Amino acid sequence: MTLKDKYAVVGVGYTPQGRIPERTTLSFHLEACANAIADAGLRREDIDGLIAYRYFPPSSGEDEVTPYLVAEHLGISPAYLFQDAN
Amino acid sequence: MHAVGALESGLCRYVLISYGQSARSGNSMMRMLYHMTRNDDAVYGHFGAAGGYALAARRAMHEFGTGPETWKQIAVGQRAWANRNPRAIMADQELTEESYMASKYMIEPFRLFDNCLMNDGGRAVILTSVERARDLRHPVVSIMGLGQHNPSSDLATADFLAGPTGAKRAGEAAFAMAGISRNDIDACQIYDCFTYTVEITLQDYGFFGPGEGKDWFSGGTIAPGGRMPVNTSGGQLSEAYYMGLTPLSEAVMQLMGRCGKRQLGPETSTKSPGIILCSDNGGILQAHACYILRRI
Repeated sequence: MTLKDKYAVVGVGYTPQGRIPERTTLSFHLEACANAIADAGLRREDIDGLIAYRYFPPSSGEDEVTPYLVAEHLGISPAYLFQDAN
Repeated sequence: MHAVGALESGLCRYVLISYGQSARSGNSMMRMLYHMTRNDDAVYGHFGAAGGYALAARRAMHEFGTGPETWKQIAVGQRAWANRNPRAIMADQELTEESYMASKYMIEPFRLFDNCLMNDGGRAVILTSVERARDLRHPVVSIMGLGQHNPSSDLATADFLAGPTGAKRAGEAAFAMAGISRNDIDACQIYDCFTYTVEITLQDYGFFGPGEGKDWFSGGTIAPGGRMPVNTSGGQLSEAYYMGLTPLSEAVMQLMGRCGKRQLGPETSTKSPGIILCSDNGGILQAHACYILRRI
């Protein structure tokens, strides 16, 4: 069965961008996610899948940003969690 | 593709794809890039991604005669889009062919403006079924076709640096699924870590033959008012770098008609978009994803 026209992108989340030294990597994940959920007109409880796109080692002084950490801070408990490769 | 797999298998209904980075102020991306080189490469001055792509571009110069005359048109065309996008990091900075040619070499043959930005920030998108999307607030933007191909080989043994890269088979798969041809594409959002990446990707998708990019790009083909707009947010060269999420998010926003002064259609003297082709790319041209989106 074809996947053609079966799935859709329904929300986009942006954040401030450029040189923002006072912000953590995790905070950009969370703001982008919260904005995408609001943009789609969904509630965070609706989100049952979470993919952390790509992978980078953490910056010095920061914890690793895992999909578990993003889910915990967003206050969601997805059925599907995935960490992408670089 | 992972998101579609998770939805198709019924494991979940709404997939959130999350990305954030402190590439400008933190050292996470640099740590990854330092690890990209292997063995004795560093002894010969090959660090990170720029060196690898510079080698690929140099090979392409030899194979089919590309070079800065082609790449400057990509850098300048994308910057003209960024100048219409208040969110773009380079929104207020104009770029001419003269200032491109006058900029310093970072790694030959790449000048400063052949390189993408390194920024702090984040981006996220949400995928669900078309059926559920119809109940939500925005126009429905569906995935019409997708394909992936991963040549994978290490740079030292790669034979794809001047094409065909993974774009060729990934593109063929996406077009086959969508059941359309290149003539049906209204605009492209192409992964652009370097200007050359845009050229080789469009070449491998078949928009022009090897080395014909110089003529294809000339006269503002990809810029506002052009016949094939490319990277209409400014892309990673001039808007912001979020890898595949820069092209994907822009394609979605354009198809939804939410792009203000850079909106494709009458606002920018371009065709109103129905179908947009996108790409993502990993390693040194070692992994490639192609996806075709449309408004339904």
